Amino acid sequence: MKSDIQDNDKIKVKLFAILRERVGESEITITVPTGITVNYLNSEILKKYPQLKSFNNKFVTSVNWKVTAGDTIISSKDEIALLPPVSGG
Amino acid sequence: MIRITNNRLSLQEIMLELEDNSAGALSVFIGNVRNRGRSGNVSEIYYESYSKMAEQKMREIENEAQTKWEIKKLAVFHRIGNIKVGEASIIIGVSSEHRNEAFEACKYVINNVKTRVPIWKKEISNESQKWAEGILLE
Repeated sequence: MKSDIQDNDKIKVKLFAILRERVGESEITITVPTGITVNYLNSEILKKYPQLKSFNNKFVTSVNWKVTAGDTIISSKDEIALLPPVSGG
Repeated sequence: MIRITNNRLSLQEIMLELEDNSAGALSVFIGNVRNRGRSGNVSEIYYESYSKMAEQKMREIENEAQTKWEIKKLAVFHRIGNIKVGEASIIIGVSSEHRNEAFEACKYVINNVKTRVPIWKKEISNESQKWAEGILLE
């Protein structure tokens, strides 16, 4: 018999610059079902932190230090960060 | 040689990194904090980095420059934290046998650091603080 109980994953997400300031923390933890995608994670983050909604499409997500497509599957073992537009130099 | 640091940047230190007796040319770019920004007067700029990824991206850019031109040595120092007007936020140095390679590689590195490395700046004045608009990473 199939269980209705889904396994959850606690995913840590690093925030930088304006995103970090808007949330007030440099790292947040999001609880999601296991085997989710970057897109799913991002939509959960925007639900939990509505102050970031105006930044939708104005940041990219890096997984293990590489900018990653929205359909990439992630887990709590990955290092994930939200990166607003860069301005170094 | 890649370095992201909270400390004041030293031109002398980067020159030492570039020493090479077979290099006849040494090109250096220094990026300074200036007193005017997009939001008006600026007294200082706060720089923040995702250092692990930033170092990886800078190394990638360094390798690309090494492939494109005959370079002897290349060094990039980027300062983070609060930097006052007149102080350097970045110093890039390239040594090569002849001048053209050093000039071209130096320009390539600064242009790519500005668009591909996860570092952010916030312009600070007496009246306001504003994050620069920037470029979305690809």
